[in-house]
Amino acid sequence: MNIIEISALRKDYSLGSTVVPALRGVDLTVAEGDFMSIIGPSGSGKTTLLNVIGCIDYATAGSVKVGGREITALSDRQITDIRLNKIGFIFQTFNLIPVLDVIENIEFPLLLMKRSAAEARRRADQLIEEVGLKEHAAHRPAELSGGQRQRVAIARALVTNPDIVLADEPTANLDSVTGASILELMRRMNELEHTTFIFSTHDANVLKYARRIVKIKDGLLEKEPAAA
Amino acid sequence: MLLIKLSLRNLLRQKRRNLLLGSAMAIGVAILITANAFSHGISDIMFNKVMRYVTGHVAVRFNERGGVMREIFRDRERAWAAVKGEPVIKDADESIGMFSRAIGNGKSDNIMMVGVKLKKDISAADLKELEESFRMSEGKWQDLERADAENPAIISEDKARYLNVNRNDTIRVRFRNMFGQDQAARLTVVGISRNDNIFMQSVVFVELGRAKELLGFRPWETGNITLNIKDPQKNARALADRIHERYKPGTAVIYASAAGRPVTVIGFRSDDASKEKIRGLAKLSSGTFDKAFRKDGVILPAALAGRLGVAAGGKIKLSYPRKFEAGPKDASLTVAAVCAAGCPGPDVVLLNDAGFYDYYYEDMPAAPGPGMKPYLPEGPWAGLAAPEWILLRRTYTTDDYKKKYQDISKNKWKGTTIDISTMYETASDILKLESVLNIITISAVVVLFFIILLGVVNTLRMTIRERTREIGTVRAIGMQRADVRDMFLLETFFLTLFSALAGLLLGFAVMRGLALLTFHPEDNPLGMLLVNGHLYFLPTFTGIAGSVLLIIAIAVVTAWFPARRAANFSPAQALGHFT
Repeated sequence: MNIIEISALRKDYSLGSTVVPALRGVDLTVAEGDFMSIIGPSGSGKTTLLNVIGCIDYATAGSVKVGGREITALSDRQITDIRLNKIGFIFQTFNLIPVLDVIENIEFPLLLMKRSAAEARRRADQLIEEVGLKEHAAHRPAELSGGQRQRVAIARALVTNPDIVLADEPTANLDSVTGASILELMRRMNELEHTTFIFSTHDANVLKYARRIVKIKDGLLEKEPAAA
Repeated sequence: MLLIKLSLRNLLRQKRRNLLLGSAMAIGVAILITANAFSHGISDIMFNKVMRYVTGHVAVRFNERGGVMREIFRDRERAWAAVKGEPVIKDADESIGMFSRAIGNGKSDNIMMVGVKLKKDISAADLKELEESFRMSEGKWQDLERADAENPAIISEDKARYLNVNRNDTIRVRFRNMFGQDQAARLTVVGISRNDNIFMQSVVFVELGRAKELLGFRPWETGNITLNIKDPQKNARALADRIHERYKPGTAVIYASAAGRPVTVIGFRSDDASKEKIRGLAKLSSGTFDKAFRKDGVILPAALAGRLGVAAGGKIKLSYPRKFEAGPKDASLTVAAVCAAGCPGPDVVLLNDAGFYDYYYEDMPAAPGPGMKPYLPEGPWAGLAAPEWILLRRTYTTDDYKKKYQDISKNKWKGTTIDISTMYETASDILKLESVLNIITISAVVVLFFIILLGVVNTLRMTIRERTREIGTVRAIGMQRADVRDMFLLETFFLTLFSALAGLLLGFAVMRGLALLTFHPEDNPLGMLLVNGHLYFLPTFTGIAGSVLLIIAIAVVTAWFPARRAANFSPAQALGHFT
């Protein structure tokens, strides 16, 4: 079953009087539980595609269905609800909340969902153990290494049991060993939680972890190379 | 809870910036609270430490024939009946005061002798309040009742120092009594008090009974009535209105007899307008209006003149029973005119009100005897007959109150005037002063707040700029716009709340510090702002809560716009923001 169905997706950015097309008619389907990589050079439209799939940016034209629901005509409140309940995000720069400690960062989305504090803490404890940071639970993000921060981000992305986790260049700010361990972790979580993972990268070493690779160039998808 | 936690922790992120802004807000609140407490303190001094003892919350003032010094009403029972049965009244006291010249040991000064009634049933709270305002440094209040001292008196410390007298010394006083005669008396200083306020430092207290005796009051006469009531701000005006209603006068009538036959004597108003009307109404058979309108002018109806066998220029003898004293009052009057027609009745003697009131007040006539109908003038004479007294209109502002008293001096009324007033109108200038002080303070603080608010807006704009990516993150994770907005509003709210609380503590510390300073104003009018030489602050819950709420409301309203702007960021844009 397809968790994402995109057809004829266009996304244009206005820069003053100039319109810059970032996506120029993308058609894409992603199967539930997939572990997919979007690769392409800088400025090819990877982040824009992830942003549109992740409901943090609007399509200029075309259709985007997430979990069978057309998202292009939804209100901000509905879109925000979809982000909270269906999608997890992992950012290149980790984007943890600096005033919250590790466990609070992980449980943060659950508290936004109005889950009880006890329930949120139970689930966060489970995730923190899975990402191997139990002993750092009370640390603030500033006290962690890059790899540890990204593990926290992965735990936070998964804490709500989302249908999809979107990771934009998750290893770009990490050394190769840490980056590999993060991809290993994502892969393991994909198998453990059966969550669909879509990550963008332009690092060729990352590709060996992907089951499916989608290549994008100048806002258009190219023919898919064979999965590793 | 999540938003509160985030807001509070975010507050600690820019400690120096928030500390500076918070300090400015705290200073603003401290100034506002201190100034408000100071202006309220002035009102409290005037109303509760001066006016309350001088005029009470509500005062019934009597003024016999426009004489400033003749604050007397000749029918005590009737005067006091009007203030009975009012549950809001805590204390009703007779207020006797007289300006006097006091001569001490080698020095003399003006004083105000005030009669005080030492009540056996004074409540503990009232006694405490009295002792707080007039603390005895020597002697005690009960010494005013000492039988072994000649006219025991309690004098203020300042006045005792000035007059160079100590306890048990004698001072001589000169004053004018109720009959306008200059009197002298000796007072024995039995106590020395420390009076709170400069206004009260000239007051010399004498037991009420003795004060009345010195002034020549007779037992059935009363001085002004002062009423201390519950919740004066709420009750004073309504009570004064009710009492005013009860003091509506009837016609002043003397039920007399002449040559064994009953006659009714009324006064006619002698103002120019009334005299003109009388000229138009009455047809004289003998005598002239000019003579009749003199102070001792008498107009006799022709029928009565015939029965008594007198004509204009002749004399009649009247006799009437008195209300308070045994034996009749006899009067011999010269007939100025005889009225053939148009006068009130065949047995009604008309007297010029100036002369009439001499009899009426000095020897208050008894009520009509059994079987006698009370006389009520009819027709045009109803408006021309002298009333029992002149009830002054109620006024509600100091300006109007002053105008009323200007009218008294213009009108030269012959009868006793009765004025019912509250301390709020007799001293509404003080309330105005408080309002003006508050307006000045608020204006200054508004400027200060405006500067602070620029700080709030700038701080928030900087904060939002610095945290744009964070806003993008929380929005991407699933935080709704309203929650982002509320998070920033809560930050401002907490910053303002903590600053206001700090300002509150600072304000109290400042008030405490300023209240410790001692001033020696001597005769400087600014001494009215002091209590025992110290500045007096009276912070009120309303003032404090108002100041705190004002700054919080202003800050939150100001923060609304940048907070809403932050909430409206597109997550993708915010995530792509680089500081």
